[in-house]
Amino acid sequence: MRYDSITEAIGNTPLVRIDPSVHGLRHIDLYAKLEMLNPFGSVKDRPAWHMARPYLEDAASGDGTVVELSSGNTAKALALLAGMHGLKFKSVTNRMRVPEIKDLLLLLGAEIEELPGQSECLDPTDTDDPLTRFHQALSEPGSAHLHTDQYFNPRNVEAHATGTGPEIIKDLDGRAPDWFVACVGTAGSSTGVARVLREHDGDVRVLGLVADKSDFIPGIRTIDEVHQVGLFDPATYDSLAAVTSQQAIDGMITLIRRCGLLSGPTGGAAYHGAVRHLASVDAELDGAGRRRTAVFIVCDRAESYLSYVRQRRPELLGRPRRGRSPSEVGDEAIRAAKARAVDVDDARRWIAEGEPRPLVVDLRGPHAYAALHIEGSINIVDELFAELVRDGLPFSKRTPVLLACPVGEKSLRYAASLARSGHPDVRSLAGGIVAWRDAGAPLVRE
Amino acid sequence: MDPPLASLLEDAPFLHSLADALGSPLNVLIPEVVAENAERFGAVYRRHHLSGRVYFAHKANRSSALVRRLAACDPSAVGIDVASLAELRHALGCGFTGDRVMATGPKDPEFLWLAARVGATVNVDSVTELEQLAALVGAHGLGRTRVLVRLSGFESDHGPAGAGTRVLSRRSRFGTPVAEREAMWAALERHADSVELVGLAYHLDTIGLEEKGRALERCVLLMDECRARGFAPRVVDIGGGFGVGYVEDAGEWERWTTALSEAVLGLRPPLTWRGHGYGLRNDNGTVRGAAALYPAHRPLAGPGYLDELLSRRSPVLGRASATLLLEHLHDLYVEPGRALVDQCGLSLARVLEVRPLGDDPGRYLVRVGMNAADVSLEEHGVLVDPVTLPRGGPRHEAADGGPVGVHLVGNLCLEADLITRRLVFLPHLPRVGDLLAFVNTAGYVMDFHAHHAQRQPSARTVAVSREAGGTWRWCPDENYWPLTHPQGRPS
Repeated sequence: MRYDSITEAIGNTPLVRIDPSVHGLRHIDLYAKLEMLNPFGSVKDRPAWHMARPYLEDAASGDGTVVELSSGNTAKALALLAGMHGLKFKSVTNRMRVPEIKDLLLLLGAEIEELPGQSECLDPTDTDDPLTRFHQALSEPGSAHLHTDQYFNPRNVEAHATGTGPEIIKDLDGRAPDWFVACVGTAGSSTGVARVLREHDGDVRVLGLVADKSDFIPGIRTIDEVHQVGLFDPATYDSLAAVTSQQAIDGMITLIRRCGLLSGPTGGAAYHGAVRHLASVDAELDGAGRRRTAVFIVCDRAESYLSYVRQRRPELLGRPRRGRSPSEVGDEAIRAAKARAVDVDDARRWIAEGEPRPLVVDLRGPHAYAALHIEGSINIVDELFAELVRDGLPFSKRTPVLLACPVGEKSLRYAASLARSGHPDVRSLAGGIVAWRDAGAPLVRE
Repeated sequence: MDPPLASLLEDAPFLHSLADALGSPLNVLIPEVVAENAERFGAVYRRHHLSGRVYFAHKANRSSALVRRLAACDPSAVGIDVASLAELRHALGCGFTGDRVMATGPKDPEFLWLAARVGATVNVDSVTELEQLAALVGAHGLGRTRVLVRLSGFESDHGPAGAGTRVLSRRSRFGTPVAEREAMWAALERHADSVELVGLAYHLDTIGLEEKGRALERCVLLMDECRARGFAPRVVDIGGGFGVGYVEDAGEWERWTTALSEAVLGLRPPLTWRGHGYGLRNDNGTVRGAAALYPAHRPLAGPGYLDELLSRRSPVLGRASATLLLEHLHDLYVEPGRALVDQCGLSLARVLEVRPLGDDPGRYLVRVGMNAADVSLEEHGVLVDPVTLPRGGPRHEAADGGPVGVHLVGNLCLEADLITRRLVFLPHLPRVGDLLAFVNTAGYVMDFHAHHAQRQPSARTVAVSREAGGTWRWCPDENYWPLTHPQGRPS
């Protein structure tokens, strides 16, 4: 395969059969449409390119900006496409909820505008609705913006009606599947694919999956939110069902660990929703002697959602334990270490007259340390210090050490930990830097 | 509903006797709860080892009982935030000493003078206001006045924060934009003999933790800028807006908001008077607009919200907000209004008329002795169902069949006077003489819009407290003092 531009690699994604021993359906062949193998990593490559292409190919490169309300894959694809054409990309969003995606967008050169949160005191006279202002700004005369408007733009649907849908039919040897399962985000893929499949075979059933209302699955809308999507038409779906984030992650893990498909949570949701729905259909097919086919879409890949998984299923990312961290010091050891606390007066004397003088380690953040600290102290921020002492001591046992934190609690814990590691003379500043200040002892600025 | 309020509601005869004697509408407050709420905020401070004060935003409620009860709390932990001359006088008269008072909001010269006179801290909005204060201090030989500088416009401030990301914020008419701070620092230096900068403040009208966390960190960084200029500020004041959860069950709230969308689309019968959409509208089968409703189910509200805000990592320095404050040796001030009066009381309204709605026999109009302004649920987007307190107690309740949808209309001769535009579902059809109790509204929403239109009575307010034997005692709000037995009692 030889291409002149990466955009030529968009589309023609594989349709891969899921091993029946994984999904357990006896009479239904289940296929995954691997949209994650598009060059920018998701199903959104198609509509992004289809929506932006006419503008990008015309645009005199330089000062135009492509804008979209997106916190995810559409933004990613548009940012890359805009960049290729010398344009800027701006994403306006209701909050980037997946940190990796946000970092990735910044890496791609996108500007991100996060819309304000909901008002605490309701102001009925509020005309400051951020979305309204966004649209006003776009329609100002002379604005060099292209708003791709994925939630209302018919070219979003068209990208799938001319691409994704026909590809599925072609790969099923000219037949439409009996079921098509898709998560509803912009409703672009489900609407476009459903239209083509139904034109081919009026009996195709379409299952739309939405996120459980109190839950969050990246790229999927809840049942209330789909009503705000211009492309959403309830008639497209034979049924709509909700999936929770836990179920999405379950589905994702099955696809990854058992099928070799490096799917993200949206694909996991589609798989879970498909198998759940088809299980009862499958039972009805017992003895009928017919085989059926179903297709679901794997929207994107797993890598961008590690923090999402870490937050919801930390055990899936369990790491081997290293040495003990100071935060694991037991209460007993802390009580025993009380003797290691020195008050401000004794600490001042020790620093002034000690033989040898103690090394004063300030465990606060570097910014706070720079603002005010005990003269001569060094700064090792607590998190780093905890890492250092897991594997040994960062200073000689012959050096006496005075640990200081804001109120003397964390430093006492760390002192206990260092004593356990064999340091003979480590103490904690009682009451911390706060007590030091309150006693009128000197603090210096950097 | 928490215990004191729940047990008050169980004593229907007591509430009926109050309403009989004092009229409808009637606000009933439990001053003890405001102190308990302040203590809950105090616990969050202690958990994060922070010092500083919780300031009650007086505008939340004009009750004397609440202010007096708070005045009796630990002076180092609880203060009061006043936004007018009258509120300042009231706070002083209720027992707050000047050093526990913070003056905020729009200020006229009399207000500034008295605040400076009694040693209150002035939360300064602009350079002009600072100049005015300094002039007063100079002209009247007042002591050096402590000031906090309220900042705004964090979103347009690129500062050291995230390249490429801009967090937009609702515009506020209060505060000095961060971008214009230089002029403020210069003014503080010019008037150093009259005013002392004790810290920086912000108040963002949002429930967004992200925006607040960002502003908090920015203040910590700016405090350092102040120190470098020779000031010695100690306080970061992060305002309030921590919220109240009005509906406990998330599912209940979610079902209702989904149903509202469906009603707007015409997929189900209207849930509101004349199909009002609370800001949502049907645009060719698509729901447009934003629901102008208070997020009634808030799993994170009040002290819990503060805890979460303080526990989150800040975007630039990457430390928890509480750690940042603590490490920089800053005190924390907060000014919760609504959250401090959560569960503090209820509003009572007498049922005056019940009749079926002409066009829909399944629904009823229930007219009560109260108008929309008395509880102003609509202005605040707060959706609280009232609890019916049958006259004669629960024994005679059985009669009128099962659940029923009613429209609650008020005592004004106006089509628009609906207590709420929502169709309210009650477990039974109420009868004339019953009381409807709007739980929690006496704490926050009842005072803002109450008026004497059409010479209808405004609500009186009473304070109640529990006796040892479980019975309730009451007194007019203005007669409450936080003493065990204010009117004396044989020992």
